Amino acid sequence: MRYNIAQDGKADTRPRAAISMTLMLRIAAEVNNLLAIRRFVQDAAAALAVPAPAIDDLVLAVDESITNVIEHGYRGQPGDVEIEVRRAGETVVVHLRDRAPPFDPTGLPDPDLTLSLEERPVGRMGVFLTRQLVDAVTYRLTGEGGNELTLTKRAVTPQPTSQEIPHEHDH
Amino acid sequence: MNMTTEQIQARAPVTILRLQGDLDGSNYRAVIDRARELYQAGARHLLVDLAGTPYMSSAGLVALHSIALLFRGSEAPDPEDGWRAIRAVGEAAESGRQEHVKLLNLQPKVVRVLDQTGLLPFFETHTDQDTAVASF
Repeated sequence: MRYNIAQDGKADTRPRAAISMTLMLRIAAEVNNLLAIRRFVQDAAAALAVPAPAIDDLVLAVDESITNVIEHGYRGQPGDVEIEVRRAGETVVVHLRDRAPPFDPTGLPDPDLTLSLEERPVGRMGVFLTRQLVDAVTYRLTGEGGNELTLTKRAVTPQPTSQEIPHEHDH
Repeated sequence: MNMTTEQIQARAPVTILRLQGDLDGSNYRAVIDRARELYQAGARHLLVDLAGTPYMSSAGLVALHSIALLFRGSEAPDPEDGWRAIRAVGEAAESGRQEHVKLLNLQPKVVRVLDQTGLLPFFETHTDQDTAVASF
C-alpha cells in the first residue's frame, strides 16, 4: 500500500484552506483487497477534511466501481487498480485507473425504479448506486490504453441556516 | 466474514444466520453458499441477523436476493445477473413481503443501500429477535 502525502513530500504548514494534497493507492485488483481499498478511501478523505457523510458515500462509490473493474473488467485476470484522492476546493475528486479492456460505464442507462420489478432492466446495480452517491461520474481512456473513472463529490459541511445559528441572547 | 447459525423452535422452526463483518464482493458468494447448505439441510424459515454487518455493497444485495429465492424453492440466479435476480425476488414479493427470509438488526448503512435500490419494501425487517422469530 502506498500513500503519497503532499506532492513535495515536505511538511505542509499552510492554512488548511490552501492545502493541496493527493493520496494514492495502487493495489492488485482482487476482491480480497476491497476492505483495504475502503479503508484507504476512508483515511484519505478524512485527511482531506471531507465531512463524514460524504466519506461514507465515497467509500461505497469506490467499492462499487472497483468491484465492477475486478469482476467485469479484468474478469479474473491479474491487474492493478490505482486510486487517487485529492481535494479540489469544495469538492473531493477520486480518480480510479485500471488497465482492463476499455469500458465506459457512464453510458449505461439507469434502471427505472418507478417500473414494476418485472419491467426493470438487468444489471448495472453498482453503476446506479455510484451515480446516486456522488455528484459527477466521468470516464476517459488513458494515454496508456487503460480506463480512468473520475468521481466528484461536494465535500463541505452544510452551513446552518440563520434559524439554526444560536444567538447570544438565546441562553 | 464470519457466519454462525442457530436453530430455534417456535411456531415454526426458524434458522438464524448471523453474519459478522462487511458484506461485499469478496464474500457474498460464500453467504449464498451457506444459505444453500441450510436449505438443503431442511431449513425453510431463515432470519438473517445483520447486527454485525455495518457495511454492505450491492454485492450484498445480490446475496439477499439469491437467498430469498432459495427459500421460496426457486433456483438462485447467477449472482452476476443483477437486476434479473431482483426481478425474480419482485415476482415473489408481488403478493407481499418475503415470507421465508426476514432480516434482523439492519445497520444504518445497510438500510440505506436497500432503500436506495428500492429493495427495502420486499423484506420484512425486525429489531427484536423474539418478535422476528414469532413472525414466521
